[in-house]
Amino acid sequence: MTRKLIVYPAMVVICLVALFPFFWMIITSLKPDTEIFTVTPQFIPHEPILSRYTALFSGAIPRQFLNSLLVAGATTIITGLIALLAGYALARFNVPMKRYLLIVILSIQMLPQTVLVIPLFTVLRTTDLLGTYQGLVLSHLALTVGLATYMLRSFFMDIPVSLEESAMVDGASRMKAVRLVVFPLVWPGLAASSIYGFITSWNELMFSATYMQQSSRETLPVALQQFFSSYYSDWGGVMAASVIFTIPVVVFFLLVQKRLMQGMVAGAVKG
Amino acid sequence: MTSTTTGRARHEVVPARAGLRWDRFGLPSLLLAPLLAVILGVVGYPIVRTVWLSFHEGEYLMTGAFNGVDNYTEIFGDPYFLAALLRTTIFAVVCVLCTLLISLAIALVLDAGSWVARIVTVVVLLPWAMPRVASGIIFKWMFNDQYGIANWLLVSLGFEQFKGYAWFNDGFASLVAITIAVVWHSVPFIAISMLAGLRATRGEVLEAARVDGASFYQQLIRVRLPMMKPLLVILGVMSTIFAYQSFDHFLVMTTPPGGPSHSTEVLSLLTWLQAFTVLDQGVAAAMAVVTFVLLAAITAIYVKLSKEGA
Repeated sequence: MTRKLIVYPAMVVICLVALFPFFWMIITSLKPDTEIFTVTPQFIPHEPILSRYTALFSGAIPRQFLNSLLVAGATTIITGLIALLAGYALARFNVPMKRYLLIVILSIQMLPQTVLVIPLFTVLRTTDLLGTYQGLVLSHLALTVGLATYMLRSFFMDIPVSLEESAMVDGASRMKAVRLVVFPLVWPGLAASSIYGFITSWNELMFSATYMQQSSRETLPVALQQFFSSYYSDWGGVMAASVIFTIPVVVFFLLVQKRLMQGMVAGAVKG
Repeated sequence: MTSTTTGRARHEVVPARAGLRWDRFGLPSLLLAPLLAVILGVVGYPIVRTVWLSFHEGEYLMTGAFNGVDNYTEIFGDPYFLAALLRTTIFAVVCVLCTLLISLAIALVLDAGSWVARIVTVVVLLPWAMPRVASGIIFKWMFNDQYGIANWLLVSLGFEQFKGYAWFNDGFASLVAITIAVVWHSVPFIAISMLAGLRATRGEVLEAARVDGASFYQQLIRVRLPMMKPLLVILGVMSTIFAYQSFDHFLVMTTPPGGPSHSTEVLSLLTWLQAFTVLDQGVAAAMAVVTFVLLAAITAIYVKLSKEGA
C-alpha cells in the first residue's frame, strides 16, 4: 500500500516531464505572438490560430516533407530487406567467422558519425550523388543496417528450426518453407527494425546537412535547422515547423510501439 | 536458444551433393552479400579513408601531400581542441550518470506492472521518437531568457536570480541546458531496456531474498542490480557513446555553433566545423580518428566487462 503511494505520484511526474515539451511545442505553435511573448506563460491559448500552419504549407515545407518521407521510406525498405536476408543467414547457418561478423555488426553502432562524414562526402561528390536522394539513403544505410540485422537475427533465433524442418520434410523447398512458415512469424521483428530505421533516417542531421545543401532536395532536419537560425525570433513559426516534423515519427511510433518494445527488449536482454 | 547445429539434420531432404554445398556455403553467402557490400562500402572504406586522410594535407576539401603526423601535432597543440576533448568527456560523464540514475528510477516505478504502468511505458518512450533537432529547438525556447518557461518556474519557486537569466550567453549555463535536453532524449531507450532487465530478475532468487526478509532496497542492491550487471554495462557504454557523439543539440542550441566564443564546442561539432566550414579535411580527419580511438577503447572495455559479468 505504501508503495502505491510512491509509485502513482511518481508516474504522474514521469508523464509530465516526458510529455510537457510536446505539449509546449503544440501550444506555442497555436498561440498568436501576443500570447507567446508573455512573462507569465499561458498554458491554454485564448485565441488559437492556425495561420502559422497555413503559411508553412504554402512555403517549401510540403516539398521538404516529401523529400524526408522519400529518403526515410527508401532507407527503411532497403534496411529491412538487407537485415532480413542477413539476419536469417546469421541465425540459421554456420557462417565462417560468424563471431567476428557479429562483433563488427554491433560495433558499427558505436562508430562516431564524424569518421564517416568526410570520406562519404568525397565519394558522393565524385559519383555525382551529392544532393541526391540516393546519396543520402546510401549514407543512412551505414547507420541502420547493423542494429537492424542484429535485431532480426534474434527474432529468427526465437523461431524453432523444427518448424522449417517439418515443412521441408513434407516436401517444401527451403524458399517455400521460409516464405510460408518463417516470414509470418518474423514479421514483428521486421516491424521493429523498420521503425528503428525510419526514425534514424528521419531524424538524422549531420549527413543531411552536409550532403543536401541543394535546396530543392533538402530534408526536414536541415530545413528546420536553417529556418531556426534565420528566423530566430519567430518562435511560433519554428514550433509549427517542429510539430510537422515530429508528427510522422510519433504516429509511426505509436502504431508499432508494441513490436518495437519487443525488439528493443530482445536486443537489451540478450545483448 | 536454438542452436544452429541441430538445424543440420534437415539437409537430408536435399538430395544432391551440389545441393548440400549450395545450402551450406552458397545460400548464406548470397544472403549476406548485400549486408557485406554495405558494410564494406559505406562503413569500412570510409574508416580506412579517414585514417589515410588524417596523415595528409586536406585544405579546401582537396587531398594534398602526405604530411606525417602534422595534423595530430596540430590538434594536440590546439587549446580549443584540447578544451573540447575535456568538455566532451565531462559532458558525457554527467549525461551518463544522470541518464542511468533517472532511467533506473523510472524502471523501478514501472516495474510495479499494472495496466497504468503499461500506458506510462509508452509515454516514457515517446521522447525517443522526437527528432533531436526539434527537441533542441523546444528546449532552447523553454530556456529563453525573457519568455522561457524554465525561468518562470525557477522564479516562481523563489529563485529570483533567474529573472531574465540568459542561459545561452555563458558556456557553463548553455551546457546545463543542453545536458537537460540530451538527457530528456536519451533516458527513454535506457529506461525501457532497464525495465526489461529488472523484469528478467524476477524469479526464485528474488523470491528467496524476499522470504528471508530482505527489504526492497536490499533486494535491489544485493540481488537485482548484480544480476543485471551485464546489461548495465552495455547500457552504460551505449549512453557514453551517444553522449560523446552529441551533435544535433549543440548545432541547434548554440549560436554561433559552439559559441559563445568556443565555450560549448564538443568533439563532433568541432570536427564537422573543421571539415565543412574551415574546409580542412586533414585536421578534421585527425580529430575524427581521435574520437574513434577513444570510443573504440570504451567499447573494448565494455566487451571485456560484459564477458566477466556473463
